[in-house]
Amino acid sequence: MQLPVLNDTPAHAEHGAKGGCAASSCGTTENQMDTLPDSIREKVQNHPCYSEDAHHYFARMHVAVAPACNIQCHYCNRKYDCANESRPGVVSELLTPDQAVKKTMAVAANIPQMTVLGIAGPGDPLANPERTFETFRRLSQEAPDIKLCVSTNGLALPDAVEELSKHNIDHVTITINCVDPEVGAKIYPWIFWKNKRIKGIKGAKILIEQQQKGLEMLIAKGILVKVNSVMIPGVNDKHLAEVSKAVKSKGAFLHNVMPLISEAEHGTFYGVMGQRGPTPDELQDLQDSCSGDMNMMRHCRQCRADAVGMLGEDRGDEFTLDKIEDMEIDYQAAMEKRAVIHQAIQAEMDSKRLEKAEKAQQLKQEPKLTTRPVLMAVATSGQGVINLHFGHAKEFLIYEASPDGVRFISHRKADQYCGGDTTCGDGESTLQVTIRALAGCEAVLCSKVGYEPWEMLEAAGIAPNGEHAMEPIEEAVMAVYKEMAAAGKLDATPEAARATA
Amino acid sequence: MAVKIIESCVNCFACEPVCPSNAIYEAKPHFLVDPKKCTECEGDFPVFQCASICPIEGAILDSFGLAINPPGSLTGIPPEKMAEAMAELQAH
Repeated sequence: MQLPVLNDTPAHAEHGAKGGCAASSCGTTENQMDTLPDSIREKVQNHPCYSEDAHHYFARMHVAVAPACNIQCHYCNRKYDCANESRPGVVSELLTPDQAVKKTMAVAANIPQMTVLGIAGPGDPLANPERTFETFRRLSQEAPDIKLCVSTNGLALPDAVEELSKHNIDHVTITINCVDPEVGAKIYPWIFWKNKRIKGIKGAKILIEQQQKGLEMLIAKGILVKVNSVMIPGVNDKHLAEVSKAVKSKGAFLHNVMPLISEAEHGTFYGVMGQRGPTPDELQDLQDSCSGDMNMMRHCRQCRADAVGMLGEDRGDEFTLDKIEDMEIDYQAAMEKRAVIHQAIQAEMDSKRLEKAEKAQQLKQEPKLTTRPVLMAVATSGQGVINLHFGHAKEFLIYEASPDGVRFISHRKADQYCGGDTTCGDGESTLQVTIRALAGCEAVLCSKVGYEPWEMLEAAGIAPNGEHAMEPIEEAVMAVYKEMAAAGKLDATPEAARATA
Repeated sequence: MAVKIIESCVNCFACEPVCPSNAIYEAKPHFLVDPKKCTECEGDFPVFQCASICPIEGAILDSFGLAINPPGSLTGIPPEKMAEAMAELQAH
């Protein structure tokens, strides 16, 4: 377990200098969608994985139909199957296309806010073209109100673009960790290419060429492309700004830099060899430094290849094969119900968006504060409001409040990736783990906080706050920020607060 | 003359479509090779196709019963390092 590294420089000190404000990050930070053309925004506004705003309202699911892979990544272990794990590449039940269609329709009928079906593994979807495309073909016919998307390592992408464009898939995610084969050789030990296993720099070079070619071909077809990158300290962290520039220049509309997940018990190369993941500060600094050039995504939950529900939750247990077997689904009726619910959600989102814009305008009219930025944690179960008890939160959303407004930074998990045993790892209590996960935050906003966590939070320099229950997140965060400013708490440097974490 | 898939197979399907002889089939608890059909790719490819895409070290054996992909050859994790990490986890 890595402890957060305490920086000499606060994460935000360089914010302005790096040009973070040049992109979408200032004012009330609507989200990363602000700078997008309307045509693209239209396509992604109800996609929880592409729009930070939408992820408070809409849900997604993955179906695990694609077991085979054509490359090896050092952060992946192909042997894994654990119900307690939540990370990419991990699944409990492999589905046939037929089972996947049935499951998707069962979920869509029972969780009407589910708008997106993705195929993301557990291998590479395009290394399983028959299973992947059979699933897409059937869903585009039988459940036309569900958006389809796919994520891939890119090796087989150029050959799949034509077929992808046939199934009305307007979103593709490519994982691109590097554009330099020498960096690639440290991430990808081998690829399977033209009937041979190719190792080292030679393999990485082919993979990179295929990824870039695939990206260009998708853009030429008018398909939206998001790029995922795994941030691996000491391997590609310095290189990712270049990746961000390169993929943006080719037309990718969103870049999602995710932290490496690496523990010895995962049995991955990086886990066993002791390669650490980035600290939250390091991740945020990199995302900020890329954001001058590119729309950055910060709300990714790195979910399992069979996840079901809102981002950050997994309701897969309710839709196991034996359970969906017994469900009778009238999809036509479900679709009508879904349309009504989607409209209502859309109307709510629009009005909240308008409200937010007005508040931002108001803030601009007020005399500008000169106080330092502050990180705050928020407990929410969706709808963009503070509506979750501290002790019930499995994750916290992290916001930064500053004189420029409020911006979403990231999420942090309250429990460890392995939720099987509360004392697994260092023998810390879940509460201690949670408080450590909030390192760097100076307040936590939730609907309620119990006595025990209240005292421990205060002792850790994180002010518990239950006074803004059911209020919109950005408004509440700004209100608390102003209170802190008025109380003179924001004149000192944040080091003191960080050091106690 | 045939290769053999053993119990460490994770049922990822990768080998099945690349076999030039259609010798690999899905079975429980794991995929199997029909020894009557397997040609060890002789005449089709200079290397075993199944073992060239298989991600699991030791899951496919040659006709001498030896792992075509020995420990450490695919993941790059030195076997002693893996043993060390697993011993460490067991101790907890």
